[in-house]
Amino acid sequence: MRKKKESKLDWRRLDNSAKIFPISTGKKYSTVFRLSAVLKEKVEPKVLEEAVKQALEKYQFFKVRMKQGLFWYYLEDNNKLPKVEEEQDYPCQYIDSRRNNNYLFKVTYFENKVNIDIFHSLTDGNSGATFFKEIIYTYLELRYKEVLSDDQRRVRKIDYDYDAEDSYMKNYDKKAKSNASGKKAYVLKGNKIPLGAISAIHEIIDLEGLKKESKKHGATITQYLTAVLLNCIYQENYIKNKGKKPIKICIPVNLKKYFPSKTMSNFFSYITIEAQMKKDGLDTFEKMLDFVKRDFSKRLTEEEIIKTMSANVKIGNNPFIRPIPLLIKKAIVRLSYIEIRKYTTTTFSNIGRIGMIGKYKDYIDYFLMLIAPEPVEKIKCSSCTFENKVVFTFTSILQDNRIEKRFYEFLKDKGIKIQIESNGVLDDISREN
Amino acid sequence: MIYPEKIKAKKSNKIIKILMCVSIGIAIILLLINKLTTPTIPWAALANAGILYSWVVVVYCVRKNINLAGHVLLQLIALSILMIYIDYKIGSRGWSISIAVPIMIMIANLTMLVLTIVSYKKYMKYVIYQLMIVLFSILPLIFVTKHIVQNQTLSVIASGISAFNFVICLILCAKDIKEEMVRKFHF
Repeated sequence: MRKKKESKLDWRRLDNSAKIFPISTGKKYSTVFRLSAVLKEKVEPKVLEEAVKQALEKYQFFKVRMKQGLFWYYLEDNNKLPKVEEEQDYPCQYIDSRRNNNYLFKVTYFENKVNIDIFHSLTDGNSGATFFKEIIYTYLELRYKEVLSDDQRRVRKIDYDYDAEDSYMKNYDKKAKSNASGKKAYVLKGNKIPLGAISAIHEIIDLEGLKKESKKHGATITQYLTAVLLNCIYQENYIKNKGKKPIKICIPVNLKKYFPSKTMSNFFSYITIEAQMKKDGLDTFEKMLDFVKRDFSKRLTEEEIIKTMSANVKIGNNPFIRPIPLLIKKAIVRLSYIEIRKYTTTTFSNIGRIGMIGKYKDYIDYFLMLIAPEPVEKIKCSSCTFENKVVFTFTSILQDNRIEKRFYEFLKDKGIKIQIESNGVLDDISREN
Repeated sequence: MIYPEKIKAKKSNKIIKILMCVSIGIAIILLLINKLTTPTIPWAALANAGILYSWVVVVYCVRKNINLAGHVLLQLIALSILMIYIDYKIGSRGWSISIAVPIMIMIANLTMLVLTIVSYKKYMKYVIYQLMIVLFSILPLIFVTKHIVQNQTLSVIASGISAFNFVICLILCAKDIKEEMVRKFHF
């Protein structure tokens, strides 16, 4: 590979969402998410390395490093090769790009599992999944050359027609008024796991059973899981700690469903479910589910989503904020970040179905998605679906795993098949105690 | 099992922390010995300044992917501060700002000139450091105009070399400088 001259390296501005991440990030706020594919056979590291290289050539969007300007960070082409290493760290850890050949994503493997940790400044969950799927497709093609013949490969019609535009700027409404609630949220309480460890608990749920149960209540899967999560937080943390503030669950929304966009950059917004437990009389699961359904239909409208998106764009675009030197922006954001985060109890991100075609899916057991917990949002939840498996993941820095346990027991009691996988961090703690 | 059982603890930071504690211990011992034996000669302060300088260099070098021009700028600033401190501690005769700092500015500018000529393809990487060195090189001129230095020759030569170097770079790499400015100053 011939290296480009430095001045010939392309560069691009960060999209509107991405601007905040490098300013606020650090070891405690990594703003990293992980996608994993659990394969049916052990991963071949050399083949994986080659697959990453080839996938990166097709998705050059990811072949970048982050540089510091006077006012904002920006992305510039990266001439180095990406690293592929055996998994040695907790998931979703801060990516020190200097130790990662400047890349903002990191591919690791362990036994049957391939992981990609991605810094959110680079892209969002949906575009991250597109790139990750390309790595997995390429890996399988290189690993099982005989079975996945040329014919098979041709079936794989991947749309490489993408761009890096800032779709926020194109689609936001200058006149839209903010719909953000000024109320602070209930913050989960409990002792933290020592030494910066992160617990990951995956609840592998049978899709058919979950679908049936959600349909019974006239809810979508996301609504149903949100209500179960709300119920678990209420029963296991809120009541015990005599919570008063509303439980707020932030739900990211893929904006590509609402606006035509081919961007691989971040293009998501969010809705916040705000449950005032006492005021709204939310003391049973049924009431909570009804409330979640109503709140979803109220907030998940194009008009509301544009309002939230536009308010965020306006902040990044504010003529008084833009010329502030980056160093000062960093200091202000880092000092105020804990306060800003207090407006959400937890986040639940559902990236939906990860589809693989034809024979490729025979080599995959399931996919996982994880998002990094933070000092304020001590538990974060995410889910993705592959074939008949929905994997709901809790990433947590709390020693107490009763929310996760209650979630498991609740779905099991409803007759839904469910099994658990974890990274064992909380098992060790319970053994010690 | 889908996760490794043992997570490797990161030891490198620990080693640096231990070494830093040892350095602080040595610095305190030196100060105590100095106070008890030869309180009129501030040799411990000079030794400690040396230790501090070494740490600045070590911490900077430990970070990967730092480019050569960055090292030149760091050495220029760190050594200048060290020289000015030593000068101040041994009688404030002014040799640091009239001789040492201008000489270091000359060396830094010559190094940058060599870097530019030898690896002009990478010049884009050096632009921002080059500009900072040019800004730093204005200091001797300020000292001259404010009559802070007695021997003005070296200061004028140092600033002159810096200006000459910058003009050469402008001629050779104007496009790169412009491109880098657009990137660094976009808002």
